Amino acid sequence: YEGHNKDLSWISKIQVNHPAVLRRAEQIQARRTVKKEWQAAWLLKAVTFIDLTTLSGDDTSSNIQRLCYKAKYPIREDLLKALNMHDKGITTAAVCVYPARVCDAVRALKAAGCNIPVASVATGFPAGQTHLKTRLEEIRLAVEDGATEIDVVINRSLVLTGQWEALYDEIRQFRKACGEAHLKTILATGELGSLTNVYKASMIAMMAGSDFIKTSTGKETVNATFPVAIVMLRAIRDFFWKTGNKIGFKPAGGIRSAKDSLAWLSLVKEELGDEWLKPELFRIGASTLLSDIERQIYHHVTGRYAAYHDLPMS
Amino acid sequence: MRTGVIGLILPPTFSFLEMMWRICPALAMGCTVVALVPPTSPTPLLLAQLAGELGSFPGILNVISGPASLGPILASQPAIQKVAFCGALEEGRVLRRSLAGKCVELGLALGMESLLLLTDTADVDSAVEGVVDAAWSDRGPGGLRLLIQESVWDEFMRRLQERMGRLRSGQGLDGAVDMGTRGAAACDLAQRFVHEAQSQGAQVFQAGDVPPKSPFYPPTLVSNLPPASPCAQAEVPWPVVVASPFRTAKEALAVANGTPRGGSASVWSERLGQALELGYGLQMGTVWINAHNLRDPSVPTGGCKESGCSWHGGPDGLYEYLRPSRTPIQVSCLSKNMNYDTFGLAVPSTLPAGPEIGPSPAPPYGLFVGGRFQAPGARSSRPIQDSSGNLHGYVAEGGAKDIRGAVEAAHQAAPGWAGQSPGARAGLLWALAAALERRKSTLASRLERQGVELKAAEAEVELSARRLRAWGARAQAQGHTLQVSGLRGPVLRLREPLGVLAVVCPDEWPLLAFVSLLAPALACGNTVVMVPSAACPLLALEVCQDMATLFPAGLANVVTGDRDHLTRCLALHQDVQALWYFGSAQ
Repeated sequence: YEGHNKDLSWISKIQVNHPAVLRRAEQIQARRTVKKEWQAAWLLKAVTFIDLTTLSGDDTSSNIQRLCYKAKYPIREDLLKALNMHDKGITTAAVCVYPARVCDAVRALKAAGCNIPVASVATGFPAGQTHLKTRLEEIRLAVEDGATEIDVVINRSLVLTGQWEALYDEIRQFRKACGEAHLKTILATGELGSLTNVYKASMIAMMAGSDFIKTSTGKETVNATFPVAIVMLRAIRDFFWKTGNKIGFKPAGGIRSAKDSLAWLSLVKEELGDEWLKPELFRIGASTLLSDIERQIYHHVTGRYAAYHDLPMS
Repeated sequence: MRTGVIGLILPPTFSFLEMMWRICPALAMGCTVVALVPPTSPTPLLLAQLAGELGSFPGILNVISGPASLGPILASQPAIQKVAFCGALEEGRVLRRSLAGKCVELGLALGMESLLLLTDTADVDSAVEGVVDAAWSDRGPGGLRLLIQESVWDEFMRRLQERMGRLRSGQGLDGAVDMGTRGAAACDLAQRFVHEAQSQGAQVFQAGDVPPKSPFYPPTLVSNLPPASPCAQAEVPWPVVVASPFRTAKEALAVANGTPRGGSASVWSERLGQALELGYGLQMGTVWINAHNLRDPSVPTGGCKESGCSWHGGPDGLYEYLRPSRTPIQVSCLSKNMNYDTFGLAVPSTLPAGPEIGPSPAPPYGLFVGGRFQAPGARSSRPIQDSSGNLHGYVAEGGAKDIRGAVEAAHQAAPGWAGQSPGARAGLLWALAAALERRKSTLASRLERQGVELKAAEAEVELSARRLRAWGARAQAQGHTLQVSGLRGPVLRLREPLGVLAVVCPDEWPLLAFVSLLAPALACGNTVVMVPSAACPLLALEVCQDMATLFPAGLANVVTGDRDHLTRCLALHQDVQALWYFGSAQ
């Protein structure tokens, strides 16, 4: 997706009412619950949306290898067999790592015989406070190493000082540096200050050519929350109505329980519709979520609650 | 002091929450409740059973399941002290008529429609959610009128229709459902409204299809309904939303206030100044800003105009079930031979007075309307006699046309007076008090001619002046209050003047009563049309001479004449906001 010409009139008149959005967020969480076998089905679907992530200072090739194996076999084989889903090719959507570990990830996935993409974070993740030159170079190096998806962070200072044109130009440059790789723009909504800024930043990011907009890095104090998501989803829908292009959405950070993930799926279904519930248009950035989902599936299949040691580590 | 036994009458489509909102304050204030509920819902019976199991007080909540026609019968039971009615306008009228003359208080909460006003500075997506809350969730009681600024019409309609596609109707207990059903009667009502609207040229949008036998009526959006069509004047039933555009804020207020219903409304705008201005301008009991149907037990909600004027929630709601502790026991003054049609219709003719003795009387007084004395429409006057039977003077014979003129003058003066600061109002009342004191001797001598002793007359004049001053001081003490409640956001309680008040004074205390009734009405920012004491209106007219110089035109208008006839004219006039009557039982 090449992007659109910049048109600041799309963001000039926008208003977002904070209490009303909060009310809508509460309502969605309360009103769309799923139970029994439908819940199991939704959970498996949620698994296919996960970008299995590890972004710690102490990542080395050994834990990356374990992560990649878990990405290929997210749920224990016998559980999938019990649900009759073992031959449907259920894997996570991608694996997300730091740029220096991209090589390890690509190697591990090839060894496991899996062709899911490797996503790399880039541009001074997580704060983005480095020079533009090095940020662009990071993207290029990650792409060279074999990452087919890049998660970039925007420059929050541009949002907070209202420099929308400069923001557009930067993201355009990221887009060019990515080349063929798929670009996810992290808005770091916890640091943007207001819901109106979130909307405007989303619009600018989409206009500049992002394939996905992502709520947060996972390292801020406030990560993916429903009110922010509602605003971003509305922006995606408005962009679709204006241009016909479907941009994807990824919440990341703070999604730990299976119940949360179901609420997120309901939210996307309510606001955007079923077409967005595909890995090409929706991802969830998470690491411990997968084990909680696995435990729920274990409970559904066996009727018992598993201990943590019953299920393979990721 | 608590009121006593409350009779509660609920409409066929009420929600559990609404019922609790009425029963709980009554019980909390120490009253007992007899509720009449439609036979289709068993929940109140269960509630009564639970109340009965409370042990020591078996009779605090009693529930009768029956048709609405039992309403007046319940209301006329001798032991009931207050009836709280919630439901349709016509039934409310019937009830009011049947309760006339008995000393039973009536609290009315009529009509279920509400209004949503969307400006172009609003968050459109959130306003769509507001519409869903107002019309298509189980929290809204009735249909919705939607006023949308023209510049955001297309955008809003598109989003609203998209959102309607995602609403789910189903059984209430299924947690994933947005709206349920309210019975076949409600469905029929909605269906009829929609058909009529279509035949009058409106466009109807429904998100799903209506299966013919289904109890669920889909959410419906009606647009392009010509404003003059009968459908546009009728109340919008649930779950229909009628949308109309407006161009400017002024037009919005005119359209919004242009219905006799004054229940609740919401204003959507991100600009604080504009939102507050629209909120103040709407003549509705409850106005929400950037939200709809937010309710909290400590915040009073109610209506105005045709929506009835009883309040629920908050301290005002509790006061509904109390009365001041030293109210005398009211005697029922039921007049069996009351004929509403002929009451006060014709003016009894007055015989001309006997031969005039003494100095020739002053020329007849006119009516004090619009700041000056005017000749009455009927061009006739009636004689006023003093205590010894001699002619005291002539006053004008006012009629229906004069009442109309007086009410118009009062309405013209009303916005200006209401807009005055409390200090300015107090100042005028004090000036009038000073004028009365200056003319004490003239007024006292007039009173003497009416048979009042000199000392008592002077005392009456002094007391009148004092009362004016007291009310002047009170004018300064009233104001708006700000309440902080569980809702996210402050609650502003405004005390607004009603508008035009009509007052019919009693025969006794011609000066004092006149002044005591005039002062509170004016102090609170209303304008008045007064019918002074029939036996001696001359005192009131003397005061008018002072008012002519002190008050702005139209602030207080005095019409003399046959009391019954004028009362009838005032009662039938639909633009008088309140009527205070002190007179005969009829």
